[in-house]
Amino acid sequence: MPYRILQIELSEPLGSFTLDAPQDGFAIVARWKDRLAGFCMVEAAPGVTIDEGQLSDLCATHFGRRVVSLEIEAALHEQRPAQSPAAAPSLSIAICTKDRPQRLARLLDSLKQVSVQSRFSAARILVIDNASVDAATRDVVAGFSDVDYVFEPRAGLDFARNAAIRNANGDLLAFLDDDVVIDPNWVDGLYAAWRSCPDAGGFTGLVLPYRLDTEAQIEFERRGGFGRGFEPKWFHAASADNPLHPVGAGVIGAGCNMAFDRSLLLSIGGFDEALDTGAPLPGGGDLDIFYRILRSGRTILYEPRYAVYHEHRESIPQLRRQYWTWGLGFMAFLAKSRRHDAALKGKQDAIIRWWLLDRLSALAGAAYRLRLREVGFIVAETWGGIVGLAGEYDRSLSRIEKIRRLSP
Amino acid sequence: MIVAPWSIRHVDLSSPDAEIARDTRPVFAVFWWRSLPLGTGTYLPEQLPLNRGQLLPLASELASAQLAARLPRFGGPARATRDGRPVMNVPLNAARSSGNLLVELERLAGDASADARQLAVIICTRDRPQALAQCLARLTAQVSLPGEIVVVDNSIARTAEAAVSRFAGIRYLHEPRRGLSAARNAGIRASWLPLIAFTDDDVEPRPDWASEVVHAFSSPRVEAVTGLVLPARLDTPAQSFFQLQMGGLGGGCLPLIFDSRFFAETQALGAQVWRIGAGANMAFRRSAFDRIGLFDERLGAGASGCSEDSELWYRLLATGGTCRFEPRACVFHHHREQWSQLRSQMRAYMRGHVSALFVQAALFKHPGNRRRIFLQLPNYFVRTAFRAIRDGGGAARLQILWDEIAGWLCGLHYALRPGWRARSAPVLSAAVASAAAEAQWR
Repeated sequence: MPYRILQIELSEPLGSFTLDAPQDGFAIVARWKDRLAGFCMVEAAPGVTIDEGQLSDLCATHFGRRVVSLEIEAALHEQRPAQSPAAAPSLSIAICTKDRPQRLARLLDSLKQVSVQSRFSAARILVIDNASVDAATRDVVAGFSDVDYVFEPRAGLDFARNAAIRNANGDLLAFLDDDVVIDPNWVDGLYAAWRSCPDAGGFTGLVLPYRLDTEAQIEFERRGGFGRGFEPKWFHAASADNPLHPVGAGVIGAGCNMAFDRSLLLSIGGFDEALDTGAPLPGGGDLDIFYRILRSGRTILYEPRYAVYHEHRESIPQLRRQYWTWGLGFMAFLAKSRRHDAALKGKQDAIIRWWLLDRLSALAGAAYRLRLREVGFIVAETWGGIVGLAGEYDRSLSRIEKIRRLSP
Repeated sequence: MIVAPWSIRHVDLSSPDAEIARDTRPVFAVFWWRSLPLGTGTYLPEQLPLNRGQLLPLASELASAQLAARLPRFGGPARATRDGRPVMNVPLNAARSSGNLLVELERLAGDASADARQLAVIICTRDRPQALAQCLARLTAQVSLPGEIVVVDNSIARTAEAAVSRFAGIRYLHEPRRGLSAARNAGIRASWLPLIAFTDDDVEPRPDWASEVVHAFSSPRVEAVTGLVLPARLDTPAQSFFQLQMGGLGGGCLPLIFDSRFFAETQALGAQVWRIGAGANMAFRRSAFDRIGLFDERLGAGASGCSEDSELWYRLLATGGTCRFEPRACVFHHHREQWSQLRSQMRAYMRGHVSALFVQAALFKHPGNRRRIFLQLPNYFVRTAFRAIRDGGGAARLQILWDEIAGWLCGLHYALRPGWRARSAPVLSAAVASAAAEAQWR
């Protein structure tokens, strides 16, 4: 069942490897001269040995051209040096967490070198403890030096994110979920992204799988995961390639790894606390902030070097529930946008129709091929979407009103 | 809603200060590395300007595709597979010891060097003297002049004669038999050079076009060459829709070899010969016509509608020949301006396509052709209708789809008439060609 994840440096001899008895596949995270170059998943027989020749062929198919592209890019950078940068901004790294001390510790471990390594003028880590029930989270933070701690008593991810905006002091504010660890080049990737577009309003990054041990994790990654590719992408208020952009904000990035110009977040009023409220409406806050940033006229840059590894849902029921939350969060976000941004009503209505018809045809395809689990995922996502359309945003608004009254 | 008009901008990415400035109009960008076309992109005003930070990764990506498709040690030349997609597996060892790739790129992007004197250029025209004059002006200003330029006038009233007389050294031929294939065949019979290129009166070739066409024939096994067709303007909704929704007349910038592999891989669905190129920019060895015959006069504009070009490529590939798509040979095409013109064009395209499939089926008994007519095309109609409804704003697409379906029905009607399928393409010199045909097709 489990897949082995190999980190391969393509510029060095590849060697060979043997899968352990239960492993029936492997995934490759490929780098070229330390820079992330590609990802692929391969099915294989348990216990099989992949020799250097086979590995080399695989890499040629999946990463060969990307290597050429990276070499040309390096040569172009050398030939056309960028203008010396404006003064580097300072960076705050916010981790919003609730009752997951072990995962938080794992993430903080991976962040240990960041402040030394970073070329930002400063880099501070800030943990927002989002109403954890016990002191374990606080204790974990106390075990790390130079990590700030803030307690946010109102449960809800976007309460925590807004607390981060208020308590951080960096010019840029990066958000990490507690179920990720960072790639060693994460902070350099974010810096490179800022260098190539200093006036961007936001940055999103690559999300790779942390482990592929269960059926659900493999299935999720195979269905696309959070993958958004190994080329940088620029997002603006409109796109010639996609007439519905920026309403389909999901393509821009994922909330577990994103960063913003903090003053912009302040000026547009931060995150919408009625989205991402935990169990009843666990999503949509990232889509909403991407959308509002693009609508404010600022750019969002997706940079693959700015990468994290995300621990995917372990079991199929959890994964099904995740797809349900995607549908729910997306439609709740659209319901909100239709109310507050009437100028794009045409696009908003069009994407709702697009989404429902697209789910429907995916459902028909999966049913035709008798892929019952796939059918379950699509039904869950579609049902989530319908609930989201049917007043979930309003219900969420009244729920958070109550929370605000209880702990002002 | 269809976005128009577009600014067309040519961007040379080899220049250190390449950028795309702000614009009030949306921009259709054509990216180059000196004389090497790299690709196209579309940008709304909100996405501009494009500066260094965005163009460097884009340049690297586009240039790497060119190197992988062209350099033998990187696995080039790229061969086409299904849907005209190239296979590009760059061996890791080659990528590791790649040396200075910018030098390689500069070498590939150099100016055209081939002598075009062995090339005959044939332009078939019908009642468009002004467009023709523009085309001839470009042809007579080529950096390497073609050995022969033949204008075949397919009009009744000889409307092209005056335009031709304004240029020196152009042969004028009147072909009263109606139909583009008949005109093209008349041009072939009247010309004598070993390489024959075709372009249309609504086309403006780039100055190095003739030279690049000749250069693309440098491998002796290549019997046919096609080149890149870019839009000359995208001013009206019809032009913009044709280019951006219907794919225009191609626009991919990767060189491709279409050979027996492509034919075998796509034959089950009628062999996707229409992916090879466009009649507005194509060339053949004269010997290819000797081997497989001339254009089929049942097909093409003025007869069934179009596809006389792709049917010839079909014959070529089916009998073991090789076609090469070389985007360095680049022309600009004036798409139809009016929506009504576009609609009748799309109808003619589908009618011609269906009749060409019937011709191919009759000639070679390959079942893929019928499968395409009766399964794949209806499937395409249903899918397109679904997409148009799903994506919204699909009224224009549905209208064009209706024309495509009407064209499909016309094609059926056309080809099912008694005796139509029994006719065959004329041959260049009867004895040679029929003998060759016998030998190849049995």
